[in-house]
Amino acid sequence: MKKLIRVLGVLVVLGIVALLAFIFVPVQRTGPVTQLAADFKPAEGQGEYVMHAGDCMACHTSEGGKPFAGGRAIESPMGTIWTTNITPDKETGIGSWSLDDFRAALYDGVTPNGTHLYPAMPYENYRKMSEEDIVALYDYFMHQVEPVSNKVEETKLAFPFNMRFGLRAWNWLAASYPAGFKPVQGEDEQFNRGKYLVEGAGHCAACHSPRNLFMAQDGIDDTSNAFLTGGEIDGYTAPDLRGPESGPQKWTTEQTAAYLATARNAHSSATGEMMLVVRDSLQYMTHEDNMAIAAYLKKIGTAPANASAAAAKPEVTETEKLLTDAKPDMPLGPRLYLDNCAACHIVNGNGAGETFPELDGNSLVTAKSPKGLISVILHGAELPSTADRPMKLRMQGYDNRLSDEEVATLATFLREGWHNKAPGVSAAEVKAVRDLAAH
Amino acid sequence: MRDLPGLPSRRGFLKASAATAAIAGIASHAKAEQKPEPVALTEYKPDCLKPSEWAFVMAAVARLIPSDGEGPGAIETRVPVFIDKQLAGDYGKASDWYMVGPYQPAASPLRGWQTPLNPLETYQQAIPVFDEWCKQTHGKIFAELDPATQDKALTSLQKDEMKIKPELREFFSILLANTKEGYFSDPMYGGNHGMAAWKYIGFPGARGSYKEWVGKHNVKYPLGPVSISGERG
Repeated sequence: MKKLIRVLGVLVVLGIVALLAFIFVPVQRTGPVTQLAADFKPAEGQGEYVMHAGDCMACHTSEGGKPFAGGRAIESPMGTIWTTNITPDKETGIGSWSLDDFRAALYDGVTPNGTHLYPAMPYENYRKMSEEDIVALYDYFMHQVEPVSNKVEETKLAFPFNMRFGLRAWNWLAASYPAGFKPVQGEDEQFNRGKYLVEGAGHCAACHSPRNLFMAQDGIDDTSNAFLTGGEIDGYTAPDLRGPESGPQKWTTEQTAAYLATARNAHSSATGEMMLVVRDSLQYMTHEDNMAIAAYLKKIGTAPANASAAAAKPEVTETEKLLTDAKPDMPLGPRLYLDNCAACHIVNGNGAGETFPELDGNSLVTAKSPKGLISVILHGAELPSTADRPMKLRMQGYDNRLSDEEVATLATFLREGWHNKAPGVSAAEVKAVRDLAAH
Repeated sequence: MRDLPGLPSRRGFLKASAATAAIAGIASHAKAEQKPEPVALTEYKPDCLKPSEWAFVMAAVARLIPSDGEGPGAIETRVPVFIDKQLAGDYGKASDWYMVGPYQPAASPLRGWQTPLNPLETYQQAIPVFDEWCKQTHGKIFAELDPATQDKALTSLQKDEMKIKPELREFFSILLANTKEGYFSDPMYGGNHGMAAWKYIGFPGARGSYKEWVGKHNVKYPLGPVSISGERG
């Protein structure tokens, strides 16, 4: 008995020591994955290019704020995370950070004083970046970004998520793989370039991969089956990119590249978060890089079985017949479509290339969460102006014109129309999205 | 829609309320959108017209697009509301017109709007002049005349038999134009209530797309109209 108590006592002491060590022993920081020559200098513009590829701007700039001065609120299930100032300001930014400090933030998610970053910062993905790109990016932030003194609001999540040391354990699960990028032997340069951009700086998986039990990305590269098979962000569905019905698989490589560069192609257009990604990041990629991303995605996906057959024989669907007949006793859903949508999206649901997206087979329309579709119907959408396609095409919102019940009926019709097969939408779901905008 | 049941008289105010009720009954078929009925014209509080002006507009539009005969009239379609709202707004104030002199009210009508008065002022000044002329010529102000005499008076106004001063000479033509506009414009501007004018002429409204109907010859387009704000008829 006495012995048992002694053993337990030792275990408790060991446990406390381990916990203290877990909290206070500094995290081992990952060093450079490649030793660069002492006189290595990034090429002119490389740093800015990497910044665009990583879309640092999107999170680290607040609405109407100075570039990279932080202060943007990122809503997470645990609470609001405020993005940091990453301008080279010495007091409030990262001006005093060394290259090693900078790399540790991108690879290990730790700041120079050992504080863990919340994984809203996608270091799970940035961990794949090459030393050349890290150095170029560091050089860009230190020398080409204007220092801005801006003390941003401190992130205060609720217990237990405010115990940042806990992220150490999370990192063992999520970001423990060796840093750096290993090209796949036997694949061509384009594939590997696409893979590098998608898995690394582009951090596509941050939205497009599902999250596992621990909220880590379920798959950070294509060796995982779940990688890029669709995720959820703030209640919106980020679509699957690998299944036979997904855009990158149904479209040609050129069409996918056009979507990435201009937010529009012959079939669809980008809305919501993806529109911002095109506006702030992808439009600055070279054509070769967007083609590489598109080619890589195609290669790691499942091609549609009847791709050529479907394209060859345009059939007239029941939905199209119903809309064409325009009988006054038609149900409310198709009537609302004719009254509000058909002028642009056409009775066959095919819209018009690069202008009005297809609704038949559109991933936003059939998304698991109807939130994106409801949001577009209520508030409209706008395509960004890009170098290749400067026109900011805009769809107006229908929040003044349609009631919650009408939007629900219309959305349900769209999700079941033509070849679409997605569950219906309730007025309560519409109300929730409408109320969101009122705040 | 052409026969307005239970009309006790074809006179202005009584007609207004009864006709509104009749339209409301017609519009509520299965697919039509249920909208709360607006206040009856008799209860309507004009934005800019004084009671005597309102009474004139009510009586005049009822003769320009009468409620008997074919199709809905200007009263059931609430044209007076449209005119009141337009005169109270940018149109009435001529906000985006060139309204700086020199003015030549007596210039050839081909020269366009030559009076220094804006449309609201034109109504405000012309109505008393015309009412006075009606009193002198027919014994009562316009709104109190019987329909046949009202028609005669309006014809005289159109032909300018009273030799109205040049500053007001556009009055009849804008009154007629505003009446037509109120009859056919989108209901969001107060007139064309229930899209009754569109239904009558078979205009499908703001749907804006009939590509699939281009090749269908001699087939009546079956759907009722839709308004800019989404009303379905």
